[in-house]
Amino acid sequence: MKYLPLFLLTSERPALVAGAGRVARRKAEFVLRAGQRVRMVAPGPFPAALHWARARGMLEYRQGNVEEADLEGVGLVFAATDDREVNARLARWARQRGLHVNVADRPEEGTFIVPSVLDRDPVLVAVSTGGTSPVLARRLRARLESLIPSAYGRLARLLDAYRERARARIPDEAARRRFWEALIDGPVSELVFAGQEARARLEIETALERAQGARPEGEVYLVGAGPGDPDLLTFRALRLMQQADVVVYDRLVSKPILEMTRQDAELYYVGKQKDDHAVPQEGINQMLVDLARQGKRVLRLKGGDPFVFGRGGEEIETLAEHGIPFQVVPGITAASGCAAYAGIPLTHRDYAQSCIFVTGHLKDGSLDLNWEALVQPRQTVVFYMGLTGIGVISERLIAHGMSPDMPAALVEQGTTPNQRVLIGTVATLPEIVHRAEVRAPTLTIVGEVVRLHEKLEWYQAEEHRPGTVFSSH
Amino acid sequence: MQRQATGKVFLVGAGPGDPGLLTMRARERIEQADVVVYDRLVGEAILELIPQGTTRIAAGKACGKHSMRQEEINELLVSLAFRGRRVVRLKGGDPFVFGRGSEEALYLRRHGIPFEVVPGVTAALACTAYAGIPLTHRGLSRAVHLVTGHFRDDQPLRIDWQRLADPEATLVIYMGLGNLETLARGLIDAGLPAETPAAAIERGTTLDQQVVRAPLEQLPARVQAALLRPPVLVVIGRTVAFSERLDWFVPEAPPEAWQDEIGAHTAR
Ligand SMILES: C[S@@+](CC[C@H](N)C(=O)[O-])C[C@H]1O[C@@H](n2cnc3c(N)ncnc32)[C@H](O)[C@@H]1O
Ligand SMILES: C[S@@+](CC[C@H](N)C(=O)[O-])C[C@H]1O[C@@H](n2cnc3c(N)ncnc32)[C@H](O)[C@@H]1O
Repeated sequence: MKYLPLFLLTSERPALVAGAGRVARRKAEFVLRAGQRVRMVAPGPFPAALHWARARGMLEYRQGNVEEADLEGVGLVFAATDDREVNARLARWARQRGLHVNVADRPEEGTFIVPSVLDRDPVLVAVSTGGTSPVLARRLRARLESLIPSAYGRLARLLDAYRERARARIPDEAARRRFWEALIDGPVSELVFAGQEARARLEIETALERAQGARPEGEVYLVGAGPGDPDLLTFRALRLMQQADVVVYDRLVSKPILEMTRQDAELYYVGKQKDDHAVPQEGINQMLVDLARQGKRVLRLKGGDPFVFGRGGEEIETLAEHGIPFQVVPGITAASGCAAYAGIPLTHRDYAQSCIFVTGHLKDGSLDLNWEALVQPRQTVVFYMGLTGIGVISERLIAHGMSPDMPAALVEQGTTPNQRVLIGTVATLPEIVHRAEVRAPTLTIVGEVVRLHEKLEWYQAEEHRPGTVFSSH
Repeated sequence: MQRQATGKVFLVGAGPGDPGLLTMRARERIEQADVVVYDRLVGEAILELIPQGTTRIAAGKACGKHSMRQEEINELLVSLAFRGRRVVRLKGGDPFVFGRGSEEALYLRRHGIPFEVVPGVTAALACTAYAGIPLTHRGLSRAVHLVTGHFRDDQPLRIDWQRLADPEATLVIYMGLGNLETLARGLIDAGLPAETPAAAIERGTTLDQQVVRAPLEQLPARVQAALLRPPVLVVIGRTVAFSERLDWFVPEAPPEAWQDEIGAHTAR
């Protein structure tokens, strides 16, 4: 091999380009593209094509014949005049000063040649035929162009962002190389090329976390899946969903969301609808402990937010007692999701200064609620699980002084394509539930804010089809 | 002649600060936006996700203090939309929880501008989850009460203490730092036990998360001693007692995945 292929760091010192013809301009552009300044010397007028570089202070021009003094302070030399004698003399001066020099059309008289470059910053592919055929080099470059799409630059930047962390997590070099290979050959590149960088990041995150967990220590992720629309999942939730070995879910997790969990994860359905208690709460708590003890990464996936009427507290309490590591990922609770998609704000300067979430779940036919606290001006009351108790709710609120005309809304299967919003008053709620055959999951919102629904409605649900989104077993 | 409104405004909840708590929908809307108009409450880590070419406008609204008046923000959103822009109105937490998102939506509707609301994880849920505080719990809390501790400047603090002093509910106070002393006193006078567990969470879910736990009576003094600064969320109720035991969140450097070019450059 006659040439040593390297990439030079761009330097503060400009490159001298002697000449201003076509070849000289190409050399100058080559240097400028990399971000290095150019000093150009030629007897003719300044070539207008390079005006842009001069305007940015990247190029200085001296009109005249190139002299030895022009080499003062430069870092690299291009002898590109159309005069062989001048080029040869300049090359000699440069060599005497220990400067690398390229001589146009006479590679053997200089000390370096210029490759044909495919620029996918920070990825650079330089092609050279050793000076034998510049045309062939350009052809090769064109082939590479189609082989290496511009997204490779993005891919390189993305991978670069994880280098430190990978080094920290996977100290062994060979292991780390395998890790990168698997990532680049795997879906990450495809995702970046498809413009889905967020998902690519997720893949890397997941892989990193798995790589770190070579030691098999189980843990539990208590994750809120949001109210139904899979796009309301948080990135943290999604990441853990793709990482978990086991998924323990209940009825309120919508089907499209369940489909986003890792393909090969084991799925456990634990029911938890009041009448078909597939697994009692204590059983679930124990199950999480047992699975984690087996070294599994357990995803406990719950509808909405795990800490809002989700009994998530009981589950992690048991985990804490057994010393099992866990994480809690809050989710969009049904109140937020339904409020947004039904156009019913939970608070509003004039209509509601506060908002209260309660459960309408009947116990022995009655509801244990602080009714006084619920019947207050400028407050929004949100009932979770309020369907079976709707008669009691309506009657008690009115008995405690709420106006029978207080606006109220029922949001069935909120945020899903099957969402249905029914508007009435506290007095008419039971009748609406009966007439419209409202089914769970349904959220009940009571308060003046419901008046705004008419003005703020924006979400177009598809035709109402009961019970297709949520898991029914 | 009628102007043609081709733009659309997306009222997007950014969550409490941890970019991992951004929803996929929120991220997508941010990536597709022409303009992002954001509040001061929206964390830096989330602003970094706004693509380079997208116009950003700071509405600079910290809780309570408005550097751009609400009317100006409303007008800005409308005029951008009339110029055909896809505008993301990015708000901390959830846009419909103490965020004045409804006022903006009403204004847009009045001007015939199409909009969409993207719910976010509100501070009450997020800060408690990261501090190990279940909002509801069998036998301890049967209700979650979200209130604001900040009132309109022209109005005195008018609170029905009686109804808030429910030992079987979890009380979450937004913007409660300024009036914390008054709030605690009022609740205790109304009958809430002075030793009710309470916590104040500053910058919940972020790397700077700080949690001060104390019995209600001592909370104001402890918060003052800890020099907490907004945004602070106050949580009062029996379930707060779990906090110490269920504390799991270790603030650590965010995955680089969430940092974009700008973040990476400034770090170097
Ligand atoms: C056991 S609670 C669980 C709540 C959940 N942890 C949350 O934060 O949304 C179940 C109740 O949540 C409400 N709910 C959940 N998802 C809903 C949806 N998509 N539409 C309407 N209501 C919903 C219903 O009131 C349902 O009965
Ligand atoms: C104007 S309100 C906006 C609330 C927001 N729309 C939400 O849903 O969270 C601002 C208040 O939210 C609370 N807050 C928001 N983010 C917070 C955080 N990361 N940590 C603590 N408190 C926060 C504080 O009480 C703050 O004063």
